[in-house]
Amino acid sequence: MSHLFGHNGAEGEGYSQPAPLTTAQTPSVPSALVRARPARWPRLSEPEMVRHYTWLSKRNFGIDTGFYPLGSCTMKHNPRVNEVIAQLPGIADIHPHQPEHQLQGWLSIYYEMQHMLAVVAGMDDVTLQPVAGAQGEFTAIRCIQEYFRLRGEDQRTKVIVPDSAHGTNPASAAMAGFEIVEIPSLEDGRMDLEALAAVADETTAAMMITNPNTLGLFEADISEASRIVHDAGGQMYYDGANFNAILGITSPGLMGFDAVHFNLHKTFSQPHGGGGPGSGPIGVKSHLAPFLPGPVAARDEASPEDVHRSLDGHIYRWHEPEHSIGKVQQWHGNAGAVIRCWAYYRRYGSGLKQMSEHAVLNANYLRHAIHREAKAAGVDHLFEDGAETEVAKHEFTLSMQPAKEALGVSAMDVAKGLLDRGYMAPTVYFPLVVPECMMIEPTETESKDTLDTFAEHFAQVLKTDPETLHEAPITTPVRRVDEVYAARNLCLKHPFDEA
Amino acid sequence: MVDQLPNRGREAEMLKEMGFDSMEDLFADIPEDVRFKGELPLPAPQSEEEIIADARRLLGANQDLGSRPSFLGAGLYRNYVPAAVFQLVTRGEFLTAYTPYQPEVSQGMLQAMWEFQTLVSELVGLPIANLSLYDGSTAAAEALTCAVRVHNRKASQPNTVYVSELTPPDKMSVMHNYCQGADISIKTLAHKPDGTLDLEAVEAAAGSCGVYIEQPNPLGVMDEGLVGLKAMLGDHTALIVGVQPVSLGVLEAPGHYGADIVVGEGQPLGSPVTAGGPLYGIFACKQPYLRLMPGRIVGRSIDVDGNEAYCLTLSTREQHIRRHRATSNICTNETLIALMGAMHMALLGPDGLADLAHRNMAACQALKERLSTVDGVEIVHDAPHFNEFAIRVKGSASACLAHLDQHGITGGLDLSRWFPDITDQILVTATDQTRSGDIEALAAQLALWSTHAEVAA
Repeated sequence: MSHLFGHNGAEGEGYSQPAPLTTAQTPSVPSALVRARPARWPRLSEPEMVRHYTWLSKRNFGIDTGFYPLGSCTMKHNPRVNEVIAQLPGIADIHPHQPEHQLQGWLSIYYEMQHMLAVVAGMDDVTLQPVAGAQGEFTAIRCIQEYFRLRGEDQRTKVIVPDSAHGTNPASAAMAGFEIVEIPSLEDGRMDLEALAAVADETTAAMMITNPNTLGLFEADISEASRIVHDAGGQMYYDGANFNAILGITSPGLMGFDAVHFNLHKTFSQPHGGGGPGSGPIGVKSHLAPFLPGPVAARDEASPEDVHRSLDGHIYRWHEPEHSIGKVQQWHGNAGAVIRCWAYYRRYGSGLKQMSEHAVLNANYLRHAIHREAKAAGVDHLFEDGAETEVAKHEFTLSMQPAKEALGVSAMDVAKGLLDRGYMAPTVYFPLVVPECMMIEPTETESKDTLDTFAEHFAQVLKTDPETLHEAPITTPVRRVDEVYAARNLCLKHPFDEA
Repeated sequence: MVDQLPNRGREAEMLKEMGFDSMEDLFADIPEDVRFKGELPLPAPQSEEEIIADARRLLGANQDLGSRPSFLGAGLYRNYVPAAVFQLVTRGEFLTAYTPYQPEVSQGMLQAMWEFQTLVSELVGLPIANLSLYDGSTAAAEALTCAVRVHNRKASQPNTVYVSELTPPDKMSVMHNYCQGADISIKTLAHKPDGTLDLEAVEAAAGSCGVYIEQPNPLGVMDEGLVGLKAMLGDHTALIVGVQPVSLGVLEAPGHYGADIVVGEGQPLGSPVTAGGPLYGIFACKQPYLRLMPGRIVGRSIDVDGNEAYCLTLSTREQHIRRHRATSNICTNETLIALMGAMHMALLGPDGLADLAHRNMAACQALKERLSTVDGVEIVHDAPHFNEFAIRVKGSASACLAHLDQHGITGGLDLSRWFPDITDQILVTATDQTRSGDIEALAAQLALWSTHAEVAA
């Protein structure tokens, strides 16, 4: 084990720093504010620090380590040139409060991203300010809220979400002050139009839904759902978590949505960094555009006398929407993430459809290969499809309920067995409508060979005797972690001498 | 694009094996009336070489701060981040991992974040820290809603919080957006002409759910008055202090003078300014706030063999379990940037952090001493400053900043951006990256400006 707080650390300052600037008077802290007790942590020399974090990194699994079929998370490859670009001083070393003429390049990239996202989503306007998907949800719901307030429809206090929705949907709407109306899904996991029609009324502000849904199925009735909500005077909100399946094929706009958030870190490959950063822009139809958080990037064609200071014939500026809800982050969003996603988008340009086609191809192929290998290994009776369907979209679900009943092997056991074989486990126990659920999303950046080999291993895990599987994982840096112990014996920081 | 799609060229083979004829078959479930017709109206795909060339050209059109003397701070601070931080943080095992839902293969990031929690706890002097919120503004906003959840029952001013009037409007706006859904009313706390908090005005805040104030304050003032604040507020009002983390190398940890919650913009530790994002929000608190606080937390535990192991804990506060009753909607946070902060702190050590703080303060002092000799420039507050301070200039601040810009200097923040009535003040910021030459250049141009403005007047 390497512990940061186990290092003795040398005395004195850490890495060497230049001398402070000379001053006539020694700068001093007011006496009541002088730090009485320094923080307690060791300073590490660079060799120790590099070795500590390298050791930690080797105890962590990323896409670079191996196949990462984590459903709903779209763990695609992160191209390295994007990291190089994000370190350029023209993005890493600029301040959002610099005058616009010093930021023309950044503004132009923001403008281009706003435009591209509007095109692929079928929306009219976009803001890049929200810094994560959940914040995008919150932002869009706030825009809808102010839209209704301005129209004098204050009675619209409810937001409808299907029971299969991501937890952030109801949490975001509740944070904005809405009452949540949860509607049950049909037995096959699809949206229940009758249940929707029964609750949509003059108190409905919005419905939040993702399509393809969390089972990886396209909701073919989506236009009808939009009609029901719109007839009741409400707004349709598209959760873009599963957007990777549909670029260039359909769009939230075509399905009748009024607002959408994008998870740029999923669809456009901002590295997820072990939990963040992300980027969660939103797109809206024109009636919601005046409410977007500001500023957004805008541009004017340069007049002949201004051409010398233009960028590609345009002069860019920030624009404050008329009825803006204000800000959801202090600055202009996670610019560093947006730049990486811009670089990713540029690889595809008009060919983004191929990205989605391959995502769907890989998901369907992996589903096929898993059934094929399971049959060959004689374990195909141990699981079933989470949903009856001819085709899935970017992800699919399997139910391990038969294995649970026949052998006492749970979805979690299978997940841990996969860890032992060098894979990240799929998402487990979500969505709840599928018992013993495994949710699998390979993404478009995995090769057929990887998918075939994973399918073989999946079957082999199911062939493993249940006792052994309950013990899994055994090859990982630690074995099954006791989460109950962690909650009952809270240890949230190094105890120092208090222990 | 070929290099990002390993199965290009194998589509037919894969489709055939599944019993399909074409890619179109995979999308047969999407109704005709919602289909895109034709190709996306976007430019043609580019190669990596073309993309990086365009990136260099477009980003090269920006005036990066390092290319000229710059005195713009106001919440983001240019600093030096050691090379090892960048090298390590781009290791694929950290960079390309998701949230550590499978702890057995995520021990590296989990332990690193547990260590981060410890570092933040030590830095601010409070027992509990989460593993980051989005930025300083959302951390402050979530602290307010958290304070209301904890104190509302006993508050004589329920659903009410008080915030320093100096809080930048952009941060105030974030607070408003986060608070309005819970019907929380945000009132302001006045400051005295010398830039410090008006302690008499604070009495009005007693009995509210929380008070938010920054140290150093947004005008750079280190305010001694905060030390007595908790005693004035009592047990049922949360004292929330916003910090610039580097300052805590020399300034007392707010937890040691009664703060219940400490938040802050983590950026100056570990991260470049990056156009204002991604950053990381610090959030630390005392025990009573633990179960109602936002964000992810790592706990130390054991595995089935009894070996030390780490995992996410107290998840029942979070949206994926509690849904609309969650303490916050946050899911994705800023883990990787927080990791950069942890690495920077480990390299500095407490003594190195004190040195860094001292360098920031010395640069600010050098700037103040030099500008106080410039005719026509007035230091607005005679107070101890950490990174920055307000100056009054001849004429308008915006015209003065334009003059400086024309002469190759990014002068600072026009304070009318925060306080529309104040049109002749600039917030000038110095950091460890400020050089004496920068200060001389600014002083010379401000002197010229004063003369110019005199003549114009």
